Amino acid sequence: MNKKKIFKLAKGFRGRAKNCIRIARERVEKALQYSYRDRRNKKRDMRSLWIQRINAGTRQHGVNYGNFMHGLLKENIQLNRKVLSEISMHEPYSFKALVDISRNAFPGNKNVVHPPRKVDMSAVNV
Amino acid sequence: MAASSSTTLVALCSSLTTQCKISSNQNPILSKSLCLSKSNSGSFSKTTHNLSSSSLIFSKRPTFFANPPKFSESEALVVEAEPEAPVSEANPEPAATQVVEVAKEEPPKREEIFAVVMVGSRQYIVIPGRWLYVQRLKGADVNDKVTLNKVLLVGTRTSAYIGKPVVTNASVHAVVEEQGLDAKKIVFKYKKKKNYRRNIGHRQPNTRIRITGITGYQDYPVSTLDS
Repeated sequence: MNKKKIFKLAKGFRGRAKNCIRIARERVEKALQYSYRDRRNKKRDMRSLWIQRINAGTRQHGVNYGNFMHGLLKENIQLNRKVLSEISMHEPYSFKALVDISRNAFPGNKNVVHPPRKVDMSAVNV
Repeated sequence: MAASSSTTLVALCSSLTTQCKISSNQNPILSKSLCLSKSNSGSFSKTTHNLSSSSLIFSKRPTFFANPPKFSESEALVVEAEPEAPVSEANPEPAATQVVEVAKEEPPKREEIFAVVMVGSRQYIVIPGRWLYVQRLKGADVNDKVTLNKVLLVGTRTSAYIGKPVVTNASVHAVVEEQGLDAKKIVFKYKKKKNYRRNIGHRQPNTRIRITGITGYQDYPVSTLDS
């Protein structure tokens, strides 16, 4: 790449890396390597975020993520995690319908209903 | 309270203008007339059913149910329900009357329904009247009518039709607006100390479609919501 392109990609870099070609070239190459790697990482991160959101949404209704997904699998509902997380955020009634379907298909798991309450330890003598 | 809500409305309307090209009031009429003149309707049923690689495109979100105050924090795409709620508050606002007029005209045109449709092995939440980018549909020209058959979920204000896996006979009608390319991504491969550098640019072909309607879901077993 010629220098103009390097400097265009080096906007916002710290110190001499945005002004001096020798340093900018190295930093831009590193930045492009990171973007290559992170395009793959982004897919993993987003899926993890969706799973966290679905987990939070289902636990409000007393079901945890694993049982919820197992119930959906049994009912052959093929909504993916991205859509499920968006529904859990913005369409609460539809999401509750999904949770009910899943709970009927797979009741399972007696323990996990509410997050554990924090016990007040100030009265305990160590 | 009113001032903050009006400013957020203006901000949201401005974001609506940048994203949805607020001349959408004329566009649906235009596109409909063009569709009628050009008698070319193709129906594309996607047969690829593998659900790997969910897309990262957050499509427009339907927000019909009553929690508007939370959406100031989420992505700026969540706009279309906002004009429906605080329209009466925006009336006394003197500035940006044109934007307010357009915002007032938006709600009567949109039916309150959303669907989850699978296109190009990715799932999107669609509502009528909005556009979205999907993978390139081969053989579709501009202003072609497209029927998307893989509808996984249809939701209205009072009921949800949850498909197992597909809502039978439901279809989403759309109009192809543009066949273009994504923004360029630079694929730079580098191995250190081995003199290996490859610099490749990549533009993925895409298609912009505008959703016109969602039909055919009425006969499906419904789970009505007690709202």
